[in-house]
Amino acid sequence: MLDAITKYLNTRGTPGEAGSMLWATIYILIITIGISLAVIAMNWLERKILAHMQIRLGPMRVGPHGLLQPFADALKLLIKEDIIPENADKLVFWSAPVVVTMTAFTTFLVVPFGREHAVTDMNIGILFMLGISSLGVLGIIMAGWSSNSHYPLMGSLRSSAQMVSYEVAMGLAIVCAVLMTSLQTGTGTLSMIGIVQAQAQQHTWFIFKFFPLGFLAFAIFAIAMVAETNRAPFDLPEAESELVAGFHTEYSGFRWSLFFLAEYAAMLAVSSIAVTLWLGGWMRPFPHWLHGPIWDLAFSFLPALTLLVLCELCLVGAARMPKIPQMKIQTIGLGLFGLLLGFAGLVLLLPGVRERVQDIYWFTVKIAFFMYLYIWYRGTFPRYRFDQLMKVGWKVLLPTGLGVLIATAIWGLLPQISSAILGVLP
Amino acid sequence: MSLSPLIRKILLVDLIKGLKVTFDYQKPSEAITEQYPLERPVVYERYRGLPRLKVDPEKGNSMCIVCNLCALACPEQLIVVKGERNPVTKRKEPVSWSYDLSRCMFCGLCAEACSTDALELTQDFEIAFYTREGMVLDQAALETGHEPKRYEK
Repeated sequence: MLDAITKYLNTRGTPGEAGSMLWATIYILIITIGISLAVIAMNWLERKILAHMQIRLGPMRVGPHGLLQPFADALKLLIKEDIIPENADKLVFWSAPVVVTMTAFTTFLVVPFGREHAVTDMNIGILFMLGISSLGVLGIIMAGWSSNSHYPLMGSLRSSAQMVSYEVAMGLAIVCAVLMTSLQTGTGTLSMIGIVQAQAQQHTWFIFKFFPLGFLAFAIFAIAMVAETNRAPFDLPEAESELVAGFHTEYSGFRWSLFFLAEYAAMLAVSSIAVTLWLGGWMRPFPHWLHGPIWDLAFSFLPALTLLVLCELCLVGAARMPKIPQMKIQTIGLGLFGLLLGFAGLVLLLPGVRERVQDIYWFTVKIAFFMYLYIWYRGTFPRYRFDQLMKVGWKVLLPTGLGVLIATAIWGLLPQISSAILGVLP
Repeated sequence: MSLSPLIRKILLVDLIKGLKVTFDYQKPSEAITEQYPLERPVVYERYRGLPRLKVDPEKGNSMCIVCNLCALACPEQLIVVKGERNPVTKRKEPVSWSYDLSRCMFCGLCAEACSTDALELTQDFEIAFYTREGMVLDQAALETGHEPKRYEK
């Protein structure tokens, strides 16, 4: 058993490359659980951060600082009555949340959390991700149509219109990044791992490449991905003031929680596309400038350090809890949670573990940055009007994307063009 | 900022300004939310809450002399006071008091009218009751003030 594990760990490749069905299944399980946990954490963080941005406290009662609030909510959703409207199309109504959740989770098959931390390295990885995540629209239309109600239908139509129009700009931005993998080296790739490796070879993140072209493409993608996941300020499909809750108005309980899960998983998925394509994927900052054994060692302590800081925060928080009998259990709970984090941090200090979690750590940190941006946008921007939304998509992002694409291609071909001209000239 | 509107739009200046504003708000210590049962709000000095009938701290009898001024002053006419003269002290003492809190609008005219400062509106803001009948306070309730149930787990 142990031999099998160590033997696999020494192969240094994705389970897909190793051709190991068992390990692929294990990776899929880990990723599914990890994404679900991330969604739970995200739920709490979003409510907390949003509340602080609005000078509120957010959840405070269930557990210390409301840490157990997502679990309480999940429990409530699970035991809630499952209502299917009488005139709904039962089969479609039943399958819509499944389709949405499945597509949102399937995209993570090709997400490279590290060089060897992906389920598989598909040579059409980015295309696969785009295709599968676009299928999510189907689930949303199914949900809206089968509910047999006005608001869900309107919401789902808005949602699909929005997703279709922003997908174009998003695709153009992605093509820019894919072009950058081929320019100058001549080996273009659509594989997610390949794209990150191309960035490693070219010694730059694509966001800084051909400045400002890489940055522009990234900006287009960053705007389009917010619209793509139906988040504020582009959350028209679920505009509370107009459409109650958009396409999932008629859903309740567990089915609704599936939509919720899918929304956050989709956010994580598009963020991981952005991280992979422009922010160097799993690479740590300055891998070429700050290289050498000392820097490697210093950076490899960061994951453990982060956890230890979190542990310290928890313990300080536990020490500063109000000293009253009602808070006793919560104080103990927070202290134990802190100790758990501290233990995890100590485990990450072990030499073997330390090197392997590096990639995952940096990938997670970069995704966390995007998640924070999502919450930040939601706390800041008012919702766009639908015509403004379409205007931004078709009249601003699409032409800019085309321009950036052409400019990237020309810039990349400059050496060849100049050499050709020089060759013609006597 | 003397940038032209077009450049401001392209560089998303206004959006970034807005982002900065929300970012700066994020100190949990600045939150204005009160953790109510654990952390009680401080009401304003002139806040008018639950009415109270004072008892003379030295003699232990009610300070009310049943002059009926409060009942006359009350715009809602929710105060009914009955009293009779005490043959020993030659003082008029209240026999029955009734203060219908459900109709009270906390204007404070009764407390102003009171000739002996016996009636006052306190800072107590926790004046929810289980029944409508319970909102009609008698003399005992007015003198002790009602104890709000403390929050326990």
